[in-house]
Amino acid sequence: MRRCAERASRTPRQRKCQVTPRTCLIVDDSRIIRKVARRIVEGLGFEVDEAADGAEALTFCAAVMPDVVLLDWSMPVMDGLTFLRRLRDLPGGDRPKVLFCTIETRAERIAEALSAGADDYVMKPFDGEILSSKFAEVGAV
Amino acid sequence: MSPEDFDRLQSLMASRTGYRLARDRMKLAEHRLGPVARREGFDSVAAMLAALWSKPVASLGWSVIEALLNPETWFRRDRATFDTLATELLPALVRARGGQPIRIWSAGCSTGQEVWSIAMAALEVGAPVEIIGTDLSHRALEKARSGAYTGFEIQRGLKAATMLRWFDQTEETWIARAELRAVARFARANLLTPPAEDVRFDLIFCRHVLDDMQPAVRGQVLDQLERRLVDDGCLFLGAGERIDADSLAFRPVAGRQGLFVKAPGSLRRAA
Repeated sequence: MRRCAERASRTPRQRKCQVTPRTCLIVDDSRIIRKVARRIVEGLGFEVDEAADGAEALTFCAAVMPDVVLLDWSMPVMDGLTFLRRLRDLPGGDRPKVLFCTIETRAERIAEALSAGADDYVMKPFDGEILSSKFAEVGAV
Repeated sequence: MSPEDFDRLQSLMASRTGYRLARDRMKLAEHRLGPVARREGFDSVAAMLAALWSKPVASLGWSVIEALLNPETWFRRDRATFDTLATELLPALVRARGGQPIRIWSAGCSTGQEVWSIAMAALEVGAPVEIIGTDLSHRALEKARSGAYTGFEIQRGLKAATMLRWFDQTEETWIARAELRAVARFARANLLTPPAEDVRFDLIFCRHVLDDMQPAVRGQVLDQLERRLVDDGCLFLGAGERIDADSLAFRPVAGRQGLFVKAPGSLRRAA
């Protein structure tokens, strides 16, 4: 698990504003996508953690439930859909807003993800405006 | 592009559209005009502008003007506006109009996302509506009419469930369903020109248009909007857009972002 390395660099002012900072777990096997997404999501005021596959993400969530999960579909070890179903079975696992964020763009797969309990769905490629509008639509910001 | 060219573009935009082309937009203007020059068969933007200045403003002039307008829009932009529309205004108008279609004008609709956002809100609450979207730009209207958006465009502001409900997927794009198209039409209109028809609307959306206009014409445009709005109708401007001293025709509604109704003085004049 890759812990947020930038917490120490937050200014006192920011810390004061965010008494209970919202948290987002970014789950993607691409380090580059995680990095891009992290920058955007931190810009929305979230503290970010990362996981490289569904199994790693599930272990994380069993310990600390994040407010939002940004979830890739196709990943080694455990894919996003399997993670989502298992997450929703965990105690408190219905609480996080889960946004798929994947290259898969077929309408029937999107519908499948939503019926499995995803709150929203981001088709790659995406940008900061898309992501922030999605966060707003699911009520995460 | 020379500074003189830019000065002339500024006056062209101001006189024909009321659009305020800020000086810091010179680079952007050059960038936007490149494709226009290529499309129109010129070697460079400078060559195209030289040709433009030597003749009266015709189709080339309008191609240039269209490229310089601000086309920025997305689905459910200023989300609170669409929540107010769906939960308060549409139900009230349905009751007040007794089942007659509610007439809605999206003034400056650009590529149509606002029109479809209004249409989705109306159909979701079962409100009968007739929506007209107008814009200056032929190219923007062409896209609006097509109702087709890339994956990038469709998901800006739209939840996936809403997208699946109201848009059909094709190879490359997402296309507005027939139900949406049935309640919307599009036409070209210049907000500086008095309208040919005398239709009045129950709701007017003119969002993020006035902020891009010359202060001198904002009042004129607002007065036009006021004349096209029924006395108990509402006007939506963009979140953060204010009327201030531009016009006495409208007053803001407290607690409702971007919402305006006619000022008492306008009601007397209309009566």
